Formats: sequence, C-alpha cells, structure tokens
Amino acid sequence: MTLTESQRDALVELLNIGFGRAGASLSKLTGQRILLEVPVVDIHPVAQLDASLRKVGAGNVASVHQVFSGPVGGDALLILDPQAASTLKELLTDEPALPLELDASSREVLTEVGNILLNACIGTFGNLLRVPMSFAVPDIDVATLRTVVAKLVASGDAMRYALVVTAGFKLRDASVTGYVVIVLTVQSLTRLLIAVEEWVVREERLS
Amino acid sequence: MTERPDDIATVESAMLEWAQNHGDRGVFTTDTSLRIKSWNSWLGIATGLSPAKAIGQPLLELFPSLAERGLDQAYKEALAGQVKILSHSLHRYVLPSATGEEQMPQRGQISPLTGKGRVVGTLTIVEDVSERMATERELRARIAAAERARLTAETASRVKDEFLATLSHEIRTPLNAVLGWTQILQSRDFDKETVRRAIEVIDRNASAQLTLISDMLDMARIATGKIRLEVVDLDVATIVGSAMDAVQPAATAKDVVLTAEFAPNLPTVRADRDRLLQVVWNLLSNAVKFTDPGGRVIVGAAASGNAVCLTVSDTGHGIPAQFLPQVFERFKQADASSARRHGGLGLGLALVRELVEMHGGTVKAESPGVGQGSTFTVMLPVTRADAAAAPPLAAASASMPTLGGIRVLVVEDEPDAREILVQSLTDVGAAVTAVTCAREALAALRDDGNTHTDVVITDIGMPDYDGYSLLKELRKLPEAQGGRVPAIAVTAYATVEDRRRALEAGFVAHIAKPFAPKRLIATIARAVAARSA
Repeated sequence: MTLTESQRDALVELLNIGFGRAGASLSKLTGQRILLEVPVVDIHPVAQLDASLRKVGAGNVASVHQVFSGPVGGDALLILDPQAASTLKELLTDEPALPLELDASSREVLTEVGNILLNACIGTFGNLLRVPMSFAVPDIDVATLRTVVAKLVASGDAMRYALVVTAGFKLRDASVTGYVVIVLTVQSLTRLLIAVEEWVVREERLS
Repeated sequence: MTERPDDIATVESAMLEWAQNHGDRGVFTTDTSLRIKSWNSWLGIATGLSPAKAIGQPLLELFPSLAERGLDQAYKEALAGQVKILSHSLHRYVLPSATGEEQMPQRGQISPLTGKGRVVGTLTIVEDVSERMATERELRARIAAAERARLTAETASRVKDEFLATLSHEIRTPLNAVLGWTQILQSRDFDKETVRRAIEVIDRNASAQLTLISDMLDMARIATGKIRLEVVDLDVATIVGSAMDAVQPAATAKDVVLTAEFAPNLPTVRADRDRLLQVVWNLLSNAVKFTDPGGRVIVGAAASGNAVCLTVSDTGHGIPAQFLPQVFERFKQADASSARRHGGLGLGLALVRELVEMHGGTVKAESPGVGQGSTFTVMLPVTRADAAAAPPLAAASASMPTLGGIRVLVVEDEPDAREILVQSLTDVGAAVTAVTCAREALAALRDDGNTHTDVVITDIGMPDYDGYSLLKELRKLPEAQGGRVPAIAVTAYATVEDRRRALEAGFVAHIAKPFAPKRLIATIARAVAARSA
C-alpha cells in the first residue's frame, strides 16, 4: 500500500493541525514558545519499519509507547535518539539531563511530551473518523530500535502498516527531531484513508 | 471450580479497601462533573484533608491551584477520553501539601474511567517522588564531582608535563656551557684571560644548576615533611644585607639598582637563618630577573604590630591579574611556553611561601598590572619578649682567613672531589695529606709521629667504612696519635637531618657539597682556633 499525493497532502494537513495543538499545549506547559514543524509522512509495512527508521541510529533509543483502541486501534510511538531525548528534556525543563537509563525524571518528562504529541495525532484521527477512541497509559522504554520494532511486529497481525511521521520540535533557537510511528491494521488504515478523502471532499466543498 | 459472583464482589471490595487504607500512593476518583467520589488515606496525610472532608467536594474548588496551573484542562481532556501524564519536572506537584508543610514533590497520572463505552469519571494517581529526586540529585553531584576530578587530574598532568619540559631545558642549559668550556679547555692550551673567562662561565652555570637542584630538593623535602627549622632570634636587616650581597652582582650586570629602606630599631624574628636567607634571596633574585635594565628593586623592612613586614618591590614586568592567585603555586610561571624569556623552574616563589608559612608567617604578591611592577610582602612574627634570650647572629666576617702551617688530613674516595679539597686548602697555605679511605686515614694518623694533624676533613659516604665509622675509630686512638683531633664532615648528605646527625656523632662542623672553599677554610680556621683555645 502506498499513499497517493493527495492522500499524503491531506494527512500532512491533518497531522499539522494536531501538531499545532500539541505545540500550544507544550508552550503553555513550559512557558516558552514551542513550535512543531510541518510533519513529513510516510507509510511502510510494519516489517520494514526497522529499515525506514535506521536514521535514528543503532544504539538505544527512547520510545514512548501508547496503545489506543476503539473501532480504529493500534500502537502509537514517539521515538527519539538519546541525544534528542536529553536535549528536549533540558530545553523543556532547564535541568541538566543524566543518561536516560539513570534519569527517571527525564523519562517521565518525555512520557508526558510523548503523550501530548501522540494524543494530538490519534485524537485528530478520532475526530476525523468520528469514532470514540480510548488510550492506555503510556510507557517509556530505553532499548535498541531493533528491540522496539521486534516487539511491535510480534504484538499483532503481520499485515499491518506503519505511518511514520517525522516531527521536528523548535524551541529556544534549537531544533530536535523525533519520529511518531502509528501502527494500524490494513482494515484500520483503509478506513482512515477513506475518511481522509471524505474530509478532503468536505473541505473542498466548504472552500 | 467456578467462583460465585458474591466471592468476586467480596474480593473486589477488599481490594478497594486495601487501596483505600494501605496504598503507597494517592488515589482519587471524580464523576464527570469533577466532584470527588473517593479519596484514600494516603491523600488524607499528604493534603491534610481527610476522606470525609474531601468526598463530595468539587475538585477544582477544593484545590484552586489546579486551575491556576492549567490542570483543569488536563481534567477536561481526561473527560474527553485522554490519559494525562503529569511529570514532576514540568508540574512539580499535583496536589498542594497540607498548609505550612514543605511541598511534597509529586508526579501524577489522570485517566478517564469508562463504563459501557462512555466516560463516567476520572481516576487520578499521585506519587511521592522525593526519594527519586534525592537519588538523581546525588547522581548529578557525583557526576559533577567526577568531572571536576578529571579536570583537576588533567590540569595536574599538564602542569607536570610543562614542568618536565622546563626542567629538562633548565638543567641542560648550564650543563651545555660547563661541558662546552671544559671540552674546549682540554683541546689545547689557552691564554690566561680565556681560561679565567671559561672558568667564570663554568662557575656561574654550575652555581645556577646547584640552585635549581637545591630548590627542587627543598620542595620535595617540604612536600614529604622532611624539613626542620633551626630557629634562633635573627636580625632581619642582617639577613637582608647578606641576601642583597648575593644578588648584587646579578643586579649590577643587568643595570638594576638595588636599594634598601629599613626602619630603625627593628625587632628580631624567630627564624632559621639559612631558610630566611633563602626566602629573601629568592624574592630578590626574582625581582631582578623580571626587571629590565634601568629598573629598580627596593627592599623594605618595618615593624608592623607583632610582625616584621618585609617588602620587595620592583619596577619590573608586573604580574597579570589572572596569574596573581597562582604565583606561589609550584611549577607555575606566567609564561610556560618554550619561547618564554625567563629561565627557572617556577619553584622559587613556591618555596618562599612554604618556608614563610613554616615560620608562621604569610606572604602575598601584588601588582597593579603588566608592566607596572610588583610588590611581595612577607610578614614574619617577631620574637616574643620572653623568648628573646639569645642575641641576634652577626653576619659572618667577609675576610678570607689563611691556614698557614695548619696540617689537614683529607679523607675522600672520589678523586675529583679530593683534588678540589687539596687544591683549595693548599692555596691558603695548609699542609695537606690526602687519603682515599678510612683505613688509610687511621694509618696516616698513627704514622705521622711528631707532626700532629690539626684537623681531619672527611667525606661521609665511602665504601667499606663511612665517615661515621672513621670518627668512631679515630676517637679510640690515644691523644698522641690524633685521638682528639677535630673532624669536619664534607658531604653530599646535605639535609638538616644529615647535619644534625653529623654534629651529634661528634663532627665539629658539617659542610654540604658542593662547598664554597671560603666557608670550608673559615670553618677549619675556627675549629683549629677552638682547639688551641
């Protein structure tokens, strides 16, 4: 399955609305101006996720994982390389970060940020699809990307797709890049894409 | 076996009761209008509000600080189905502590409670993170301490490297002059003037190297606590005078004017004569070294309370402000680059501080800045009136005595050292017999019959029998065979301890190698005079 140009454009636009909301919450929370850059969206079979995220690095990554359920269900993750994770924590809190494995405070802040971002993305889809969605409590893991992906692959149907959204945070003249990964079944993804196209038609009619 | 529904209900209510009374975190629920429905006893302790007082109250009215910190929004979103994480770093706390108590650091989590597919209320869990904060603080402190230790070690290692480079340069430079000239002198015969000049160069360079090595050894002795002061009451003016005499040639050669300004009637100080001289000499030669031709160095001494205040001011290069705090540190020179203009190991001022502090005094450096000269001030405690028993030592007489007719027995195993002794003593008229070991010395004394030996000069470190054994054997001889002849130790065992040991063993004097012939001659003259008196 691949995205058509118009599907991709529409998804970017929708996610951008969600990112705008997430940025606003984070700004309010931290008292500093936080912008989320326009996201870049891609779609891959879940089995190829490892390859498509290779740029994150071979070492440990921080991954905030949240399960969502309802008529459309799946896994949502925010993945940050350790440097980005530490930088983000320091920029948000003004506290020096320790290595992630040792720093429960850092992990907690990243969990909160990941939760805000993932809620914004998934919440947008929920609104769009007009279906109720419920969220599990997010957790954070520090492990290699391979481990993270292996867990995802093993946790469900192999015929699933991953929306990979590149998220750039801009704050205090710095830029930190993270990756939002939303894993959906073929059925959920199909429903989502249909809903996206309907949204485009609605929007066009309105304009 | 199937469970009956009432069993399940019993277990569930027991679990709720456990969470209510024994949980290690705060748990409370609200309905969709955010009215509190349950409130466990942990929260009762943490907030000072008992379950009876909290249950039924509207949450946001009971805790206005929630809305003030934007947490009403989190509850709104929870009612819309979202889970909210409240990290300690971004929120500090969820619920305020009981009035008057220090705020407990907390983290929290707000979840929607759903039933039959719709949200029926919220569940909030609050945790105390004090312990975690303390652990992380400790970790940060340890990481910072490790980082500081690493930096200190790196600096120390760099300073040591610089010092070794300087040391090797400073030790080689005078050797170069000494070896160069000795090789030239050996190559053929030169006229008297050239030989005199060569010897002067050799002498100057060897002396410079001796100073370097003495400084280094002194510093090492101080570092290992092996230096002891022989304190007596001293007249500061006399000491400063001797130091000025020693530095004068260098000052003259550089066209630097050396002047003294002493207040009258200075009190005496309790100090070790040689060490105080070393302090003043170091400060003076340092001042001369860093003052350009045409400049001035002024030494002042004045009483100041219970101390004598000694100042050495110069019109020299001055000290950069950022280097001032480090001038008394070991191996430090403002310019440690290989292109630096001034020689030396950077030990002189470190020695000054160590020695002054050993005397119970203080030393400080001041400079208005680069190019504006500097002033070193030493404060030395004065002799207390009740301790002022001994009169101050007078400066040694400068005139060179002769040893005409005095018979000296020299015991030295090392040929070059022996030759220097013989040469310098014969030059002033002594009759010298030189032997290479203790055995020969005893034989010579027994054999010299009627021509009695007046004084024995002996090395300490010799193969087979050392100087101490020789002295012991010597004292066993009858008086007619020299059993009571005065003995002087001339040795490279040059510490204060060695000196003490030699004097205790019965040597009338201890002279450190390399020695100034003038001093040896004066000592011999004194020893012989004392015996005949």
